[in-house]
Amino acid sequence: MKNWKKLEESSFLDANARERALGMVDAGTFTEFLNPRDRFVSPHLPVLGTAVEFDDGTVTGVGLIGKHPVFVVSMEGKFIGGSIGEVNGGKMVATLRLAEKAAAQIKVAHPDEYSERRPLVAISFETGGVRLHEANAGLLAHAEVMDAFQDCRHKLPIVAVVGSKVGCFGGMGFVAAATDVIVMSEEGRIGLTGPEVIEQEMGKEEFDASNKALVYRTTGGKQKYIMQDCNYLVEDRISDFYGVLAKVADLSMDEIEGMRRIGSLKLVQEQMGLVKLVGEMQPKDAMDMWKYYGNENPATLPELSTAEFLKVVKRRVRN
Amino acid sequence: MALTTLEFEFKADSPKSIAKEWSHLGVTGSGDLEVLMEKKDLDGKTKAKVITPVVGFDAIWEKMINKFVMENNVGDVSIEINDDNATPIVVYMRLRQALAEANAKEAE
Repeated sequence: MKNWKKLEESSFLDANARERALGMVDAGTFTEFLNPRDRFVSPHLPVLGTAVEFDDGTVTGVGLIGKHPVFVVSMEGKFIGGSIGEVNGGKMVATLRLAEKAAAQIKVAHPDEYSERRPLVAISFETGGVRLHEANAGLLAHAEVMDAFQDCRHKLPIVAVVGSKVGCFGGMGFVAAATDVIVMSEEGRIGLTGPEVIEQEMGKEEFDASNKALVYRTTGGKQKYIMQDCNYLVEDRISDFYGVLAKVADLSMDEIEGMRRIGSLKLVQEQMGLVKLVGEMQPKDAMDMWKYYGNENPATLPELSTAEFLKVVKRRVRN
Repeated sequence: MALTTLEFEFKADSPKSIAKEWSHLGVTGSGDLEVLMEKKDLDGKTKAKVITPVVGFDAIWEKMINKFVMENNVGDVSIEINDDNATPIVVYMRLRQALAEANAKEAE
């Protein structure tokens, strides 16, 4: 494992789940829950003759950013596509519940200092959603995670961190949308049905999954940033993601609530407005939307570096 | 089709244990594997346990891990591997990496 300083300078995209977990908190502060030595593997996979992993493909733990305890969930896309089963789903839920409990205890122990010590949950998504080998348990985990998000609301921020190869798809696409804050890199992708599945079901004319430029401008970080589906767009460096987490940790809960996409009548109306707009416009490509929001030459945007892009981009204005 | 569990025991000529209590490396990805190494008092021997979906390569596993143990004089170590169809050379490389990790000085 690289030392923390080296880790911070490394690509988030290339980092494995454990490296990301360590890099998202202060140097030397990370403690892993159910580490590989605990051998908490899936009981379902061996029955189906599928290889297991000692951490079931998800690293969970707690570290610090300044005085803020940061509860981390970090998914490993290389293990069965980062899919969520019973054990890693349970680890995710338990980590969230622990964060909620910690928040309550800190509030009692440090009533005057709560905002400085308020916990944060950072979830590094790299997953295609439910693990089909143990689908019922996996689906249940999705529901329990969303339930835990709701219980944490107004108490502590839940941040989705998306910048890994597999992206964040399937049921976990919904879960990411239900967090308070989403931070992505250009390489990060969020969606429900993955590109290959759309092509398989609807045909190549509908969506050509081998067209990477199309895939990225439909599900990638830049598109999500323009559409306000993600709150922060950063360079593909672990320190950049860390920087956003540190920033969010110090925001007020009101500011954090303002970053949500779903979860109130007003937000539902905002989303319905988008549906109506798309129905009227019938856009053929994500770039049609970019143009609608004031980007004169949308075709140039994918070519820009993240820094250049952030300087010139025009985003959807939230009402 | 169930997973196969293989267990082996080796003894190097001048065995040396690892520096850390334990170390972990790799991901059970397609064509890859993860290695968990633990320091254990085994009278200089090395124990290896492999869990793999592959059938019929028991002798190759034994040869590859034996080569690793003998060439690197590994001893008093328990090795556990979760494999997902890794080729022998990947197995050898991951074992070498895991050993390097197990003996690495703690990073700052």
